[in-house]
Amino acid sequence: MAAQEYRAPESIGRLQQRALFVGGVALLVSLLGVMRTPGLFYQSYLMSFMLICGLTLGSLGLLMLQHLTSGQWGIIIRRSLESATRTIPLLAAFFLPIALFGMHHLYSAWLDPEEVKKEPLSDFQQRYLTAGGFYMRAVIYFAIWLLLMYLFNRWSEEQDANREDRALRRRFKMFAGPGIILYVFAMSFAAIDWVMSLSPHWASTIYGFLFVAGQLISSMAFMIAIVVLLARTEPFASVLQKRHLHDLGKLLLAFVMLWAYFDFSQLLIIWSGNQPEEISFYRTRLYGGWGVVAVIVLVFHFFVPFFLLLSQDVKRNAKVLPKIALWLIFMRLVDLFWMTRPEFTSQAAPTWLDIVLPLALGGLWLGFFAFHLKQHPLLPLGDPKLEEAIEHHEH
Amino acid sequence: MLHRSHIYGVMGEFSSPEELIHAVEKVREAGYRRVNAYSPFPVEGLSEALGLKRNMVPLICLIGGLTGGLGGFFFQYWVAVIAYPLNIAGRPLNSWPAFIPVTFELTILGAALSAVLGMLALNKLPQPHHPVFNVPRFTHASSDRFFVCIEAKDPKFHIAESARLLQELHAHHITEVSDD
Repeated sequence: MAAQEYRAPESIGRLQQRALFVGGVALLVSLLGVMRTPGLFYQSYLMSFMLICGLTLGSLGLLMLQHLTSGQWGIIIRRSLESATRTIPLLAAFFLPIALFGMHHLYSAWLDPEEVKKEPLSDFQQRYLTAGGFYMRAVIYFAIWLLLMYLFNRWSEEQDANREDRALRRRFKMFAGPGIILYVFAMSFAAIDWVMSLSPHWASTIYGFLFVAGQLISSMAFMIAIVVLLARTEPFASVLQKRHLHDLGKLLLAFVMLWAYFDFSQLLIIWSGNQPEEISFYRTRLYGGWGVVAVIVLVFHFFVPFFLLLSQDVKRNAKVLPKIALWLIFMRLVDLFWMTRPEFTSQAAPTWLDIVLPLALGGLWLGFFAFHLKQHPLLPLGDPKLEEAIEHHEH
Repeated sequence: MLHRSHIYGVMGEFSSPEELIHAVEKVREAGYRRVNAYSPFPVEGLSEALGLKRNMVPLICLIGGLTGGLGGFFFQYWVAVIAYPLNIAGRPLNSWPAFIPVTFELTILGAALSAVLGMLALNKLPQPHHPVFNVPRFTHASSDRFFVCIEAKDPKFHIAESARLLQELHAHHITEVSDD
């Protein structure tokens, strides 16, 4: 046991190839969409991009959270979280099409002088919502995330080599707290720039937190799916135990509740205030076809997973829990569809691009994730709590 | 048979949680079912060793939570829609988003109260006295000793044989527990 290497199994290599293949083919097919209906293409692209943002940046948040709390749940998924954060450069590459070509299709409400003349913006908005400001802020967000990714991945590698380095353990804790604050700040501003500015006349102060909570769901759900996949073969098969799944399931339930709490807070405040400029968000989203989508999100993103995850047996079940997790990732996409698309159309129907583009970006992302997962041992060998985390208690 | 009426059981003392679990497992292997263990802190694996079935507290808690939630919602609904319908800034009478905070709070209240009361009821608490307190050394169960008690209600119980079993398991201070 002592000399265990915990290398990724061959199945991760196969996952990488298949994901890259599916992603590549879907991306080529989606190029038809750029030529024929660029507007629809970028609407779907933005939604898919925000989903991938969730998988990547949610993992950055969880990685820092597990350094801060040093729970045993975190040791099991730490390497998967680190691999997910190492896709942030890919995320930046995924952002380029929006920044270079898609902006005029998405953000005409503040980018197009004609539109601004029709519905004027405030002085502050006119100074804040500019192409230059949008680029500059995006560079700052990615710089923050890349720096955090770099630090936490490098120290983790160092820790594998020096188990006894106490200064390093302290450094993890010292940087994790401020790191979480930086991540949440950057993500809040990014959510305002990239999504909320689709309708610049409407504002909500909890908007960034909706995305942060959603990202934590996406990432935790993905981590559950990946550890169960890893546990199909050695070396992870003898590592993963029911109590680990139980912990991860509890956190997934907590994040689902957190997301619902934030989402409902926004509705309650706007409902109580009843101001014409505020209710526009729900006027478009709670009636007609979009109202149906809202009910689907309420029932299948909250009620069904909530009641299923309440059960201890479900959380400890390696067959059922990953299914709920994958379902929640799909529901994140539906929620993002409901958050973004009503700004463009009253038709609550997905286009073919809404299927192809999530597959394209998701496939490529999964391929890169699998590539990064293969680079390091599957468990943080230098973590002082590793033995405790993987020992078997069951008699 | 006469002694059964004033004997609660036989108790043995152990000095570590490992010994406690080992003893409980052996006592259950010997066929005893009315066995209880006492420890100053929760011992992982002890419930499994004692063969404790999962209890009803989660179900009671769920029912309490649902009752609280539904009650909270429909009480507000009744007030706002049926008993005192008022037009507040043109909102519908069933202004459900405004009802959710109270519904949520009452769900928590119902779930928490029913969990605590259900736990107490299932444990038959409060109970001013219990026969195990008749053993003077039992005070150590709150600090540094672990106890196994084979109860006289067990059909296999026989005072001498049950005591001998505990002796074989290297229990210290094996005592009869009187029932009064």
